[in-house]
Amino acid sequence: MKIDLAVIGQGAVSPAGVGLDALLHRMPVPLPVAALGQQDPPWPVLRVDLKDPAFARWQREARLRRASSMTFFLIEAAEQALAGISPSDRAETGLIVAFSAGCLSYSRRFFEGIVKQGQKTASPALFPETVFNSPVSHVASVLGLNGAAYALCGDETAWVAALQTASIWLRRGRVKQVLVMGAEEFDPIVLDAYRSARWLRRENSDHGFLASEGAAGILVSRARPENARMITTARDGLIYRTKKEASAAAKRLLSESDPALPCYPSAQHNWLGPLEKKATQNRTLVPMGGRPYLGEAFTASAAWHTLRALNRVSSELPCLLLPVWGLNHQLGLLELEAQK
Amino acid sequence: MGAVTPLGENFPISWNALLAGRDAATPLDLFDTTGCRCHHAASATLPALTGVSAKTICRLARASRLAIPAAREALASAGLLDAEGRSTLRELPFSVATTAGGMTFGEDFLRRVLARDGSHRFSQASRYLPQQQVLDVQQALGFAGHSVIIANACASGANAIGHAADLIATGAADCVLTGGFEALTELVFVGFDCLQATSTDRCRPFDLNRSGLLLGEAAAFLVLESAEHAQRRGATPLCELTGYGHTTDFFHLTQPQPDGAALVEVMHAAASQARIAPAQIRYINAHGTATAVNDGTEAKAYGAFLDDALGSTRISSTKAAIGHTLGAAGAVEALFAIAALRTGHLPPQLNLQTPIPEMATALVGAKESSSDMEHVMSVNLGFGGSNAALVFSRSESS
Repeated sequence: MKIDLAVIGQGAVSPAGVGLDALLHRMPVPLPVAALGQQDPPWPVLRVDLKDPAFARWQREARLRRASSMTFFLIEAAEQALAGISPSDRAETGLIVAFSAGCLSYSRRFFEGIVKQGQKTASPALFPETVFNSPVSHVASVLGLNGAAYALCGDETAWVAALQTASIWLRRGRVKQVLVMGAEEFDPIVLDAYRSARWLRRENSDHGFLASEGAAGILVSRARPENARMITTARDGLIYRTKKEASAAAKRLLSESDPALPCYPSAQHNWLGPLEKKATQNRTLVPMGGRPYLGEAFTASAAWHTLRALNRVSSELPCLLLPVWGLNHQLGLLELEAQK
Repeated sequence: MGAVTPLGENFPISWNALLAGRDAATPLDLFDTTGCRCHHAASATLPALTGVSAKTICRLARASRLAIPAAREALASAGLLDAEGRSTLRELPFSVATTAGGMTFGEDFLRRVLARDGSHRFSQASRYLPQQQVLDVQQALGFAGHSVIIANACASGANAIGHAADLIATGAADCVLTGGFEALTELVFVGFDCLQATSTDRCRPFDLNRSGLLLGEAAAFLVLESAEHAQRRGATPLCELTGYGHTTDFFHLTQPQPDGAALVEVMHAAASQARIAPAQIRYINAHGTATAVNDGTEAKAYGAFLDDALGSTRISSTKAAIGHTLGAAGAVEALFAIAALRTGHLPPQLNLQTPIPEMATALVGAKESSSDMEHVMSVNLGFGGSNAALVFSRSESS
């Protein structure tokens, strides 16, 4: 789908720190975290430091007193992306957030309470915060984003769907600009899940990924300011259930684009990495250039990769492909361009 | 259109049961509710899944067992299903709503993890995610293509349909399968129960003695296509989707703004897109959860939106019959509104004893019908302040 979105704001929160500079240049430090249901040694995990002073202003907001950690990642990244946008323009801004697991920590705690203490003690304070769109509502409310708001879910490709939806809203004139975000939060339960799938990496190993968390967002519009970076095309819908189907989908995904376009590799240390390597073997790859590894945080990772790739686009590299490797449903692809 | 609801395994059965005044509330036996205040819900009987292997069926979430037959019925009724029960369109955009996906798998995974007996499996964790139910439907019916999963709480179903319309209006698609699905799960049931939002009595929307909602489960889908696409393949439209509005109410995470201003705004937005005046809407399928706060706000909003037409516009909440089906609600209720538009028969407001005064003349009575309906509306509200309204209009070619 041609989406032709001009990127007019960017924001990120990652285990590397708060802000775009940290996302692009800083190396995060893994922390050991034990899985819930296993006796094995703790796993290295990349966490966002919620004690970072940047979060203090949000932690004082009355509306956010019970909000999930993911809400804080989102709102900080959103505020960065909205820098310089006036309150009246914010009122005409839509918000679309892509999630994979949503408010996982509260959901786990809520259900664990039911299992361990019984249904009678279930927490009415926790339950509303488990709903996918709760963080979206909090962010829109606190930042005064009065346009439409959607919570989308899926694997990494929900980020692609979010960009496509933003383009649709702008073409329909529903909003003036759209803040498109991806966010995930870590909970130890994911270690039990990923460990079962043999997706996790041990220290001093190259196999598997590090579980991670964070958020990122871009503010997009149809207007094209000078020197804006563009996301011109978004492709999804290449579904798979098996590795064989994923392999065929990967081959097809890259074969549909101009073979001269360089590709920004993004399947880092996950099981789709070998498929990416094979599918891009005849393409120029954009050098990783010491890009710090941020772990796997699904829709947040897709957003991080997009920000990093957007920051590689320049007059020397005017156009590139960014594959979006969904780990649980489908594959997608973005085409990024420097405004001429 | 296709639906699996607590009233029946397909849309015609559900519709006829609804008009007959059947209330699907029954004691809940899908999971233990011993520690809950409420012990009943509107659960659906799972239809037999033809053309799907027994091995595959074992791997399906309950939500998929609801969604696959409902989607298949929608494609069949649109003439888009081949003799093998597969979609004739191999690329078919899919705009879907849910709030809990395959949560029963997630619950099972967590129980096993907490038991620390090593019996948890990755498949349980991966298959609880909503995209897996979407993939189940895509693979069972043999189509692929763009999909979007909207999780805007209880307004999601209306959002999914509205988004499908947006895809078509912008030329991004010419035919979309759209709707929502939701299965009853312990986490969600206990969640609403601990909020004291569920009723231990009958579900009585817009009644002075209402005491809370009835949870339900359902899946409902419709095929939305451009007029040109329908004409090209010789399909006769059931109706036209002419208006869609959606807003976010910032008042509270779980409660609407008391004066209903955001809901009024969304109804005006939908009517404005449909280029009609509020009084031209002859039937509204209301959200009507039967909670104290929701129905009071909704009543005020209808008064403000319809003004003098409140009373001549007929209103009912079908949640009294099928329960609140959360992510599926906007879809299944849109189907009921379309059926009302097409047949002239209006879904009665069940379980009504003492209507709240401002709605007394507007609520649909038993066996009511209307012969002059050109436009109907379906309205939904959700946690997080999600509001959505859809307007369906009689199609010139239907």
